[in-house]
Amino acid sequence: MLAVGDSTQLEIIFNTRRYSSRITKTPRIQTNEGSPNRNVRITTQVVRRPDSTYPVIVKPYKLDISQFGEKVRDEMKFTISNVSEQDLTLKMIYYQHDLFEIDLPESIAAGKSAEGVLRLKDPALDMSLEKSFTFELNDDAASRFTVPIKRTVKSPAALKKPSPKEVSGK
Amino acid sequence: MKRAVIVITVVTGLLLMVGSVAAAPRMELPVSEFDFGYAPQNSEVSYVFWLHSVGDDTLRILKVVPG
Repeated sequence: MLAVGDSTQLEIIFNTRRYSSRITKTPRIQTNEGSPNRNVRITTQVVRRPDSTYPVIVKPYKLDISQFGEKVRDEMKFTISNVSEQDLTLKMIYYQHDLFEIDLPESIAAGKSAEGVLRLKDPALDMSLEKSFTFELNDDAASRFTVPIKRTVKSPAALKKPSPKEVSGK
Repeated sequence: MKRAVIVITVVTGLLLMVGSVAAAPRMELPVSEFDFGYAPQNSEVSYVFWLHSVGDDTLRILKVVPG
């Protein structure tokens, strides 16, 4: 229920599975407006070989920043290689500001690579999550790339072997 | 006097009807489309859309049906 003047968020999660083409999905939102249902639309060009995209290649193409031990893992670097013959400018289009900070190189010269950094913010440290960020290039096609972010957290308590006492329940 | 009471009753009824018709929920979606561009297989990508209640009555989101 949303009182007049209030707002809420609707997160659409798309699993790219084994698609290998341009996919459009239009989830429907049913409300008490009475009018026909409203839609949102997402489009994705799913690629089978993310290590050979053009005009840039992101490595790793999926950022897995999982944490299985006590050492806090809150930062991950990635590389963007410009495999085209033109210098490219990058623009961040979307990421969840409440969970991440992302340093994206402003530009990458033709044939060169540049480094980016993903940093988790406090709310994300204890969370297992699957999110993504999207950036856009200034090439003729205004190509967009979305980089998935995955984090699985297993607390030290969960990793600890149970003592015989805990096992027996005594 | 009787006529005045009838007129007042009718006018009040009409005003209530107009009020109830005007009080309607309305949802605003400032952004309703998002293009992820290239994304790798076997991954989850996500985007957050904002929904605003901009009508005169409470907006109820009844269901979201995957497309």
